[in-house]
Amino acid sequence: MELRFKNVSKKYGEVFAVNDVSYSMETGVYGLLGVNGAGKTTLMTMLCAVTRPTTGEITWDGNDIFKLGERYRDLLGYLPQNFGFYPDLSVSDYMMYIASIKGIRPAAAKKRLKELLEMVGLSKYRDRKMKALSGGMARRVGIAQAMLNDPKILVLDEPTAGLDPSERIRFRNLISELAADRLVLLSTHIVSDVEFIAEQIILMKAGKFFFTGTSDELIAGMEADVWNCKVFGNKVNEYMQKYPVGNVKHVSGGVELRILSKTPPSENAVREVPALEDAFLLYFGEKAGDEDAEI
Amino acid sequence: MLKCELKKFFSKMTNKLILAVLLLVSVIISFLAVDSMNYSDTGEEFASGTGRITVGRSRTSDKNKWKGRLTPKKIADAVGNYHKLEKADSESVWSDRSVKEEPLYLDILYFAANIYQTESDVVHADLDRLAEEDIEHIYDTYADNLQKVAKEYGETPEQEKLLREQYGKIEIPVTYEAYDSWKTMATYAEMYILILVVVIGFLAAEILGEEFRNHTEQVFFTAKYGRSKAVRNKIITGILTTTIVYWVGIGILSLISFGMMGVSGYDTPYQMEDPYNMYIVTQGQYYLLIVVCGYIASLLSASITMLITSKMHTEKIAVFIPIIMYWVPLIMGNRLSTMTKVFYFLTSALVNIDKGINYMTFFQMGNVVIRLIPFVMVLYAAVFLILLPYVYRSYLGYDSAKHSHRESRKRCRMERKLEERSI
Repeated sequence: MELRFKNVSKKYGEVFAVNDVSYSMETGVYGLLGVNGAGKTTLMTMLCAVTRPTTGEITWDGNDIFKLGERYRDLLGYLPQNFGFYPDLSVSDYMMYIASIKGIRPAAAKKRLKELLEMVGLSKYRDRKMKALSGGMARRVGIAQAMLNDPKILVLDEPTAGLDPSERIRFRNLISELAADRLVLLSTHIVSDVEFIAEQIILMKAGKFFFTGTSDELIAGMEADVWNCKVFGNKVNEYMQKYPVGNVKHVSGGVELRILSKTPPSENAVREVPALEDAFLLYFGEKAGDEDAEI
Repeated sequence: MLKCELKKFFSKMTNKLILAVLLLVSVIISFLAVDSMNYSDTGEEFASGTGRITVGRSRTSDKNKWKGRLTPKKIADAVGNYHKLEKADSESVWSDRSVKEEPLYLDILYFAANIYQTESDVVHADLDRLAEEDIEHIYDTYADNLQKVAKEYGETPEQEKLLREQYGKIEIPVTYEAYDSWKTMATYAEMYILILVVVIGFLAAEILGEEFRNHTEQVFFTAKYGRSKAVRNKIITGILTTTIVYWVGIGILSLISFGMMGVSGYDTPYQMEDPYNMYIVTQGQYYLLIVVCGYIASLLSASITMLITSKMHTEKIAVFIPIIMYWVPLIMGNRLSTMTKVFYFLTSALVNIDKGINYMTFFQMGNVVIRLIPFVMVLYAAVFLILLPYVYRSYLGYDSAKHSHRESRKRCRMERKLEERSI
């Protein structure tokens, strides 16, 4: 069970959205991290055989996914970033429709639908019209539809977009449960989404992969330490211009800053245990965002 | 899968509204048709109120006193009766005083008068020139004139042969039964069909366009059958809903209208209206011809709007196509048809059978001669069938990159700038 892409590029006019990336994935959770416009969504649509790469090839167990066609899509579950639905269908009718185009027989689909709605906590909303669902609920239906065919490859593009913090936690737990014997590719620009569940992290920037490895490897490779220091309020801007600054916390008598630096930024600076978010800040030069975007 | 697709179609609020409006329109047109048959059974006043609902039946019932084979004697009786009344009353045959009796055999008078009138562009034959003594030989004259018309309008030996073959099928003497309901409905059905073809085009376009409109295309195309059976089912749903909407609409219209006006005259030959018409059909068959052509027009409308939607990934433009296909040529055709025969063969011919049946127009290829109506029926049914694989292929050809190419380029550049700034 291997999804491999080799020298894959996707060009829009003169711009490379994805530029010559190669990688191989097996079972487990893969977190694809990058800022808005890094090329994550383009890569995902190619992995889902919605978009053809300009150059390069994508294979599943050695076979071209575009040639595999139905056989490949049968293994696939996909939640796109802009998850759309049929507004006049009820949740269960929507799921039954998706089940039908996924080739699941009605009897099996009904059973699976019941299980999945329970899993995403929407059992009591099964007869509610899709247009009447909140953004978070619709997103959960999106996850459920991706799981209908019990996919071997589950591709989730910004799955937590629009979810509130409690739904986000619930979602992370759900992904962990689902990841047992399948390949889960999770694209996000929210570090906390992948920090605890992704076994492998892929950092993507300007259409290229510039880091692949575990969370620990990524943190260990950081060429800076993480410091916590307390400064006066009027000095905050000065520090922010000088160092990459993560958290800014107002406390009595000043402001606490989380700073990335090779040397202690101040005399009272205390070394902290680095986290994935710090690596994100270091490599992307900005704090992990929370906006929704795609490319 | 098909069941789910149909369920999706019928659960859409817009579609429900459209179908409800269509139902209302069919009821309104039915009543307009029934209401168009003014007739007084008292000889004094026109029926009013609910009395108008049964007026069609009363009229038919009275006219059917003349039902049966139109022998020269029966026609002569009608002509004699007419001249007697004319003499007695110098006023028009349409005067209130004689409104009950005189129109009853008017169909027969016009049939007789039209036999002596071989020019197809004459709208009203002259009833006053009908002479009782000539009627004895009316069918001899008719037979002679049929030969003359065949020679005159058959521009090639093959066309002339076809006309002679068609005219040979006319049963002489013709059999008459009042056919007012069929005649009325031919006009009103065409009016309703003109609405149906546009609405059906819109509904079919919606079936293929909703994925793109609702942004569900990526889930759809990544599903196992998203690039095969599911697309086929969408197209089948388009055809099925076209069929259901069309026939239910026509069914309701026919049921209400014929239910009130009756179905008398189904077997009356169309030649009662136009003795030299080359289409040898009964009044009932003529109505069926109109609705079958309307069905072909609806299927064509559906397939073209589906094709355009699948190519453009939006139904916004496709929905105007049926108007261009069927309404615009009808409006322009009245002026331009005198200039070129091409207009006879446009798609609008399918929804204008009432006019098309009167054209002595042929399509000839080698020795094969086809009349206008069968030609457009076969041509556009074939076009409909040929388009289906293209609809399928063009829907399958979806590539999200192409679809959002411009947008993505713009976004990509913008994101790069943002990144560069952050670095």
